[in-house]
Amino acid sequence: MRSALKSSAQASLRVVIAEDSGLLREGLERLLADAGLDVVAKVGDGPGLIAAAEQHRPDIAIVDVRMPPGYRDEGLKAAIESRRRVPNLCVLVLSQYVEERYGSELLESGAAGVGYLLKDRVADVPDFIAAVRDVASGGTVLDPEAVDQLLSRHRRDERLTALTRREWEVLSLMAEGRSNHAIAKGLFVTEGAVEKHVKNIFGKLGLAQSDADHRRVMAVLTYLRG
Amino acid sequence: MSEPMADSPHVKPSGAVGPARSSSPAGLGASAGFLLPNLLLGIFWFTALVTLILISGFLAIGWIVVMGVTLGVLSLIRKPKWHMLIGGLTLMIAPVMWLCVSGAQIERRRVAKFLGYRVPSPYQQLAQRTVLASAHTRAGDPAVWRDLAYLLLLLPVGAAEFAFVIGAFALPLVTIVLPMWLFVAFPEGIPLGQGVQIDTPLEALLIAIIALPVLALVGYLLVIGMSKAHVTLDQALLWPSKRARLAQRVEELTESRSRAVEATIAERRRIERDLHDGAQQRLISLAMGLGMAKEKMVTDPETAQELVEEAHGEVKRTLAEIRNLVRGIHPAVLSDRGLDAAIPALAVRCPVPVEVGVELDERLPEAAETTSYFMVAEALTNIAKHSGASEAQVFVRREHKPQNRLVIEVVDNGKGGAEPEDGTGLAGLADRLAALDGRLFIESPPGGPTRVQAELPLGTLKTTTRGTL
Repeated sequence: MRSALKSSAQASLRVVIAEDSGLLREGLERLLADAGLDVVAKVGDGPGLIAAAEQHRPDIAIVDVRMPPGYRDEGLKAAIESRRRVPNLCVLVLSQYVEERYGSELLESGAAGVGYLLKDRVADVPDFIAAVRDVASGGTVLDPEAVDQLLSRHRRDERLTALTRREWEVLSLMAEGRSNHAIAKGLFVTEGAVEKHVKNIFGKLGLAQSDADHRRVMAVLTYLRG
Repeated sequence: MSEPMADSPHVKPSGAVGPARSSSPAGLGASAGFLLPNLLLGIFWFTALVTLILISGFLAIGWIVVMGVTLGVLSLIRKPKWHMLIGGLTLMIAPVMWLCVSGAQIERRRVAKFLGYRVPSPYQQLAQRTVLASAHTRAGDPAVWRDLAYLLLLLPVGAAEFAFVIGAFALPLVTIVLPMWLFVAFPEGIPLGQGVQIDTPLEALLIAIIALPVLALVGYLLVIGMSKAHVTLDQALLWPSKRARLAQRVEELTESRSRAVEATIAERRRIERDLHDGAQQRLISLAMGLGMAKEKMVTDPETAQELVEEAHGEVKRTLAEIRNLVRGIHPAVLSDRGLDAAIPALAVRCPVPVEVGVELDERLPEAAETTSYFMVAEALTNIAKHSGASEAQVFVRREHKPQNRLVIEVVDNGKGGAEPEDGTGLAGLADRLAALDGRLFIESPPGGPTRVQAELPLGTLKTTTRGTL
């Protein structure tokens, strides 16, 4: 039912925006509408997001971490709560800072249909829209900076230092949630080559292979967070 | 852990805390070694001081008579200079003062060495270096008079202590000699009452065997108790008086308060400069570029597009810059998740690999969290910039005993030789910590390793300053 809905609505995803700054809220709406997405609700706080998610059952909710009343992590908490109340709700969380801890908390609510990006990424419109579509179709998208943080924590991990330079690049992109196709495009190599690298990485890290992209991301992230 | 550090030559503690004592109490040997010489020292100081006081006293009387008459006669001619009389008297008691201070300092060192109590200097600071001014300050300093009282008391106290310590050691010996001596003194046996009588050597030996450990214990407790009693006397006379301690505390607080204010001002200046030199300039150039693009939109669309692209790149760089600046002012993750989330986030941004261990059972008062965070941030910045280290460790732990406090350690394997005066921000760190009664220890011998340790008492900090969610 869900997948049927999704394939028919691929052209115009239904989006809820939760962002307290009016300027950004309007900007985001314009940007999404321009790309052919359908903004069904705009809210400015956590409870508003939960209510809108329950009422509209959107394909994706785009949520700012910091919202009233405390301007701390209300958005993150509301996003996690919405996912608890509306199963399979896809959420893209935007934040002024990328903190690995927030990403981890978000991923613990399930890796499918989850994104965590630096707010600045909105500036690269095509990439941002691609990320929104990715998350809405059940993918996992993690900001490169968060991935950097995770990887730099393992600078001295012997299994990671055993990776070749290319494998290291593939691992970074994999942790960001890119598919083999996207990785191949980004590194200017064939998908077959990427598959081989991925197999080597999983072998060197001692991880079990998985076909589904988001499960693969999860395996990599679990390893990096451990 | 901090006590041995404080004694090592490379450590600079800042912000002293009252009388401190080492972790282990003085044992039997140290106590006896401290108490036994007290009699001899007491005799020496008593003799020396009394002699000197008598000499000074006679001199003073002579001086008063001679100067009194002279000045009295002179006053017929012109206005008398009575302060010369007082000044001379002060000079005459100066040797007594000097002897008191020297003797008391020797005693303080002995207490520190044998009993493990560090005694801070109780004296008022000597403002001027002239003999007369120094003598005047000393004479007006109650600490010196308390020194005198202590040194004179040392004779009777030392005599009593000597007797008790010898007695304490002699008691067990008595039980060994007792059985032999018994039958010389009491050929009939010793009646214990109710018809029981010690009348065989075996019985006497048995009693002696039972009595030996009991008497040894009594002797031990006596010596330890004596040394404790002596420390009480020290506290009363050799340590800074409560009034002096309070005065010193007020001085420390005044100083740390003004430094805290200065630090705030310096911080504001830094933020202003960062915004002015960075983001503001970038935004101006951005506005300029976009203005030009607007002009050329119709006439030269190609250049206009180039300009817009440049502006797009520029605005992204500005965003990153502002983000870093804002994070440096106060990181959101610190207020949201506390130190155990914020310190690992700091560590991964450090170019030197950092091992992190944060052991905290609960969130801490905001002032403690913020100060600790910036202490670690500054230390890691120093490591990255100056140390040449290839690895570092950060440990944060909460201690409940003996004091409710936070201990932060940052260690690196770099080249060492870090000085708070180098302008590496370590001095500012010490100021921030001192404002919360914390202390900073820096151990950085040339050649490394460098160890920066901060201790932050948590008992007095309020937990209510953090906003609610």
